[in-house]
Amino acid sequence: MRLHELATVVRSKNAGPFLVTIDLFFPDQASFDAVQRSGVLEIGSIAALYDIPAEDVVGSFWEPRALGAKVTIRKRPSVNDLFCGDLFGSHQHIPLAYAEIDS
Amino acid sequence: MEAYLCELLYSFSVRALAFVNHIPPAPDVERSIERALEWGVDYIVAQGTGSDWGPYWLGSGEQPAADVARNTRPYLRAALENEIPFLLSLGIAGADVHLDQSLAALDRMCSDEGWSLRIGVVRTEVSPDSLAALVQGGRPVVRAQDSDELSEYLEAESARTLKCCVHLVGPEPLEHLLRDDSLDGVVVGRALDIALFMAPAMHHGLSRAVAGHLGKLLECAGFALDPGDSAQPVWGEADENGVEIRSPNPSYRVSVKSLASHSFYERADPAKEDNPGGTLDLSGCEYVDTPLGIRVTGARWIDAPYTVLVEGAELAGYRSIVMMGVREPALLAQRETWIQGMRADVAAAERFAGRRFDIGIRQYGDSGGGEIGFVLDVVAETQQLANDLAYFAFIRLFVGPYPGRKTTAGNVAVPFMPLVIPTGPVYRFGAYHLVPLERPDELCRVSVLELPGGAT
Repeated sequence: MRLHELATVVRSKNAGPFLVTIDLFFPDQASFDAVQRSGVLEIGSIAALYDIPAEDVVGSFWEPRALGAKVTIRKRPSVNDLFCGDLFGSHQHIPLAYAEIDS
Repeated sequence: MEAYLCELLYSFSVRALAFVNHIPPAPDVERSIERALEWGVDYIVAQGTGSDWGPYWLGSGEQPAADVARNTRPYLRAALENEIPFLLSLGIAGADVHLDQSLAALDRMCSDEGWSLRIGVVRTEVSPDSLAALVQGGRPVVRAQDSDELSEYLEAESARTLKCCVHLVGPEPLEHLLRDDSLDGVVVGRALDIALFMAPAMHHGLSRAVAGHLGKLLECAGFALDPGDSAQPVWGEADENGVEIRSPNPSYRVSVKSLASHSFYERADPAKEDNPGGTLDLSGCEYVDTPLGIRVTGARWIDAPYTVLVEGAELAGYRSIVMMGVREPALLAQRETWIQGMRADVAAAERFAGRRFDIGIRQYGDSGGGEIGFVLDVVAETQQLANDLAYFAFIRLFVGPYPGRKTTAGNVAVPFMPLVIPTGPVYRFGAYHLVPLERPDELCRVSVLELPGGAT
């Protein structure tokens, strides 16, 4: 199953000009737990999904009270890059949204 | 007025009604304001600065279209009619030019409405030369994000090449103005969003932890509700232990989930945030239902050196673009060599030798057999050069032969004439650094303004 089929929200946005943060919100405890168990937000997994070095994965967080999770990565190209194609960072969710989750 | 002041002095709670002033309020906002007034409102706050739209606005002096007067009218009216002090941050990028545009709009509104306002004004633009002087004087100005695109420490030379810069002022200069009873409100340019809420809370003796938490919960107004919508206001009451949040519009709920989700937005870390003078830590927060909302306790403030974020825009060049569509499969199959051919022709052209420019090609579309949209994107040291390069590059792309070509009357579809579209200056963040301050008001300029017709 793809992550986006388990989550109600998969969104990305800049967190400052040099970081992109991707938020996930789940409809119920079961989907939250399944995705947390899958390890998809671990550094190695994110680095592979986004084809970035591990050092560019800044951190991930799980918030049970919001049934939400977040991963933050270095934004390349950044807002300072002349040919950045996504100045808001609002369309960087695809690799994570299409990640396979074993449920 | 005296009875109201007594109530404030003897109650240790501060009630704020929050809006976002660059967003038009919902059409039924007056009804929401009435509901909030029934609960009691001590301050009306509307923040309106931010850098998520990037450095263009700071560098150019423009604002994305926003009618701040029309947006603020309903709640400024409520503030004046009910003698409630207000705090506004104005102008998106929030430099003097943006603040002045917004003040001019408020001035016209005051004339139209027959209002007289006496406001404290806090200007937070910092000149490149004074920033350079701070650096040269030994102030360590470290980058605010750990990015290799920012110098670890800002250098004086880099500061001098900035076009415009601002700092995110903390709550203290705003709180100082709240002590002046002759003022109807406080208006500031670029500011720390939560400072607008911390100032009134601290003015009434609440801790930085609670004051900061009030700010975190209210800074985006109705975005923290379910459904999230910054056009809706949010009401918050802070006391020495925590904050209660309520939605004045029954169609929008406040829930534990909506509040916790809001803390995620545009934040690298949902729980910890560095601010001037301390880190606000929300990781230990507890949520409890109340009859009309949700109460949140448990915010912590961990003291740290007093540093403010400085955002500085520098000019990167001037841009011109050309938009083109290609359906021809034979060309799509070799588009990389087609583009490389154009680059080689530009590199070989004597007329551009020694000039500074960059050429990009952006591609939109599904290469699996459909059409691709190409945007030729030229950034050069002058607008004229960007235009000239764009025409030259377009001609190479349009008429340049490629192996197997049958479409000898033109390689692409062009939707616009003129086909070279100058988009103007391009800016980047030349500074995104933290400046340690000797006093919270070290970099700001404070004055009093009477509207309509006042001069600073």
